[in-house]
Amino acid sequence: MLPRYPTLTILAFGGIMLLTDVVPALHDYKVMDWANLPRVLDFVDRNRSAAPELEEQQRLRPETDPSRQARYPLDDNEHDLDHFYQALHKAEGRGQGAEVRILHYGDSPTTADLITSDARALLQKQFGDAGHGFCLIAKPWAWYAHRGADVEGSGWIVDPVNQSSIKDGLFGLGGVSFRGGPGATARVKLGGPHTRIEVAFLQQPGGGQLRVFAADRDLGVVNTGGPKLQSGFASFPLPPEARQVSVQALSGPVRLFGMMFSKDSPGVVYHSLGVNGAYVSVLAKFFNEAHWREQLQHYKPHLVIVNYGTNESVYPQFVDYASEKELREIVRRLRSALPGASILVMSPMDRGQRMATGEIGTVPAIPRLVAIQRRVAADTGSAFFNTFEAMGGLGTMGRWYAAEPRLVGADFIHPMPGGAKIVGGLLYQALLHGYNQYKLRLIQQKSMVAGK
Amino acid sequence: MLLSSSSYFVFLVAIFFLYWPVARIRALALAAILFANYFFYAKWDLFYLFLIPAASTVDFLIGLGLARFQHAALRRSLAGLSVLWNAGLLATLKYTPFVLENWSAVTGGAKPEWHWSFPIGLSFYCFQSLTYTLDLYRKDAKATHSYLAYLAAVSFFPTTLAGPITRVSSLLTQFEKKDKSLSIEDGGRAVFLIALGLMKKMLIADYLGANLVNRIFDFPNLYSGFEVLIGVYGYALQLYYDFSGYTDIALGSALMLGIKLPPNFKMPYAAENIADFWRRWHISLSNWLRDYLYFSLPGLRSKWKIFTYTNLVLTMAIGGLWHGPSWTFVVWGLLHGAALALTRAWQNWRGTQSNPAWWARLWRTFATVHFVAFAWIFFRAASLDTAWQIVNRIASFTFSAGNISAPVAIVMAIAALAHYIPDAWFQTTDRLFVRAPFYVQAAAMALLLLAIHYVNATGAAPFIYTRF
Repeated sequence: MLPRYPTLTILAFGGIMLLTDVVPALHDYKVMDWANLPRVLDFVDRNRSAAPELEEQQRLRPETDPSRQARYPLDDNEHDLDHFYQALHKAEGRGQGAEVRILHYGDSPTTADLITSDARALLQKQFGDAGHGFCLIAKPWAWYAHRGADVEGSGWIVDPVNQSSIKDGLFGLGGVSFRGGPGATARVKLGGPHTRIEVAFLQQPGGGQLRVFAADRDLGVVNTGGPKLQSGFASFPLPPEARQVSVQALSGPVRLFGMMFSKDSPGVVYHSLGVNGAYVSVLAKFFNEAHWREQLQHYKPHLVIVNYGTNESVYPQFVDYASEKELREIVRRLRSALPGASILVMSPMDRGQRMATGEIGTVPAIPRLVAIQRRVAADTGSAFFNTFEAMGGLGTMGRWYAAEPRLVGADFIHPMPGGAKIVGGLLYQALLHGYNQYKLRLIQQKSMVAGK
Repeated sequence: MLLSSSSYFVFLVAIFFLYWPVARIRALALAAILFANYFFYAKWDLFYLFLIPAASTVDFLIGLGLARFQHAALRRSLAGLSVLWNAGLLATLKYTPFVLENWSAVTGGAKPEWHWSFPIGLSFYCFQSLTYTLDLYRKDAKATHSYLAYLAAVSFFPTTLAGPITRVSSLLTQFEKKDKSLSIEDGGRAVFLIALGLMKKMLIADYLGANLVNRIFDFPNLYSGFEVLIGVYGYALQLYYDFSGYTDIALGSALMLGIKLPPNFKMPYAAENIADFWRRWHISLSNWLRDYLYFSLPGLRSKWKIFTYTNLVLTMAIGGLWHGPSWTFVVWGLLHGAALALTRAWQNWRGTQSNPAWWARLWRTFATVHFVAFAWIFFRAASLDTAWQIVNRIASFTFSAGNISAPVAIVMAIAALAHYIPDAWFQTTDRLFVRAPFYVQAAAMALLLLAIHYVNATGAAPFIYTRF
């Protein structure tokens, strides 16, 4: 026999649940979906995926999916990337001094060299490795990391561009200024041999001196003093065995911006320039335009990637009323400083948020922001990479969160290394596809000339 | 099928209505429970329908042998065979990827592929199964000659995912009882335990996990030292409410069928030393480790006292590895083992103070909770590297609290206070609920469901302990 009392409790509970279905006034309190009852009998075989990252990559690889074949999410109708492709073409021929320089401005994933390190590795594998590129003097955030260059520093007053007490806008190439006096040091452990280090600093009246070491060998002294405020750069050859490089302030004050590591070999240098919490205003407003121009003209990039949007996406007013204007201002500043360089606006990734239904959806402003960026890129003759669409569009972070191992963190924003690898791979594939199209056009042009 | 999912409760109600009409017919009652057990396993993976009966049959036959033979060497061999069989199952189906990964790291070769991983519930099944054969070997229990009863007991569905690890002999005694009934008190208590478990799991544990803990443990370097510290406290609370919530639902589910399972928690963060902690946390596991592993290790009866301490460390290291194939669990186990050994050594040296002052007790509890929370870092972190990042972030003494929202702080405060509610208050609430009319109990459950639906729109996260 059924136990009377518990049975009544269960039936009463079921009755209350039914009431929320039957009585219209209680519809708002409905929590039971009776349609789900048959799911108790579903015996779904466990997903025995051994390599979810690979599967996700395959799912996203356009060339393996016929329905996506002609849909590379890279818009370059004005052939703005030709300048960059031309440099790639020279590097591919491995000619002496053929160096391709890429600046990638971004937010927190870029700060940790996520996505950029994967894109760098792929490009360098294909076109040659001309060095690690730019590193900050110390870690402004614990999150700061570069694959292949382990940075540590002590004794510095660190001023990131978006959290700085100094308002002069002088933050070097990477958006962070390091002020220090005697004893302040910076150390970098390199993952491989490099042939040159260049220290970027601010030349200023009364500026102090610093000494550069490589594997305990004294490379020389840099005097940061000068008659006026301007960008300064000091370059030293590195001994081939040097894996540890350090910079030490001898007298103060000194103000440093970063170090660049390069090689004599032809290939790609991919500078990863992330600032935590960055958004378009960083380059459009917070950077002093003249100083940034000096920096840009010194590093002479062939391609500048502007990759913002995630942080501003939770401020819909900013997205709708300010982001377009500020992105246009960034492009204007870049075109003014680097008339010949290619510019690629790279959209933010998907950004997830928990919806009222419990599912992980996309932050509503993301698609609008992507549309704005695409429009600005088209209007300014810049190229546009739609990261959001390339990843899979709406709800991608929900799918990435459900993957095992997960491809995105529990904040539905920051990709896990596996997720970052996917995005880095997508960017590389899009650039490579564009490059192949460029080569095809070159051949066509040559044959047309030969035909004449 | 998670114990907090709607599917599970539909299943439980169906089993309730299937079981009680046949409860007085022994064979049918056992068959109903066995059906429920295998249905439950099949919801995870159909392969379990082969694995569990096969594994159970071997132990049942070993049990018959132990009941029959009195020859010491033969009995030892049979018990050894059971240990090998269960440990082999675990090693093959749960730890092979870990071994292969470490092997490839040592040799520098590529990691061979392995697709035969069945980690869900297997650790609990194997430990529970061993209680039967080892109890028979030690003559602490009697063998059953009923194959059906054994199969039903060893795979009893409320215990399969995350315990409590229940002695099979205790379950068999209850299954074999002739006049099965469910009193009004037990019925009400079953509903109360299920409601309490859901509340702990969905309103506290899942909320803290989704809004604080998971983010911080994913990317500790994105947060200040203070936020990471709060995240570690948050995890200590999340884990307790998640696991004790699971246990309450398991106890309530078993009680719906008239089966009483042992308690698993007793206010663990009120422990005054680490040995006391293990008498309050995951009690069924610590009892198992003590009774079946620690007492079985060599050297305890030797004149060398050192074995007392080394065996404690070894027991906890194995206990750590039992939780999962990762070095983080080994480190967690070693930390607890070392702390237990130090506590034992201290008590042997200084003796135990019978009635310490209140402030001394408070200090001991404070120190114990902080040691336990520190060890949880290794338990939760995805890798030793991440655990180290967390320790470093806390040691950076950086302060900002921007990522800790007011609702998270409130839920944490409520969770911390609720943990220390005196047992008498709990018993009073339990009594009030049990004595309430059935429609009040039903309405209370409906209200709870509504609260969960609105407060916690995150969906049910898997129970943390089902991963072990």
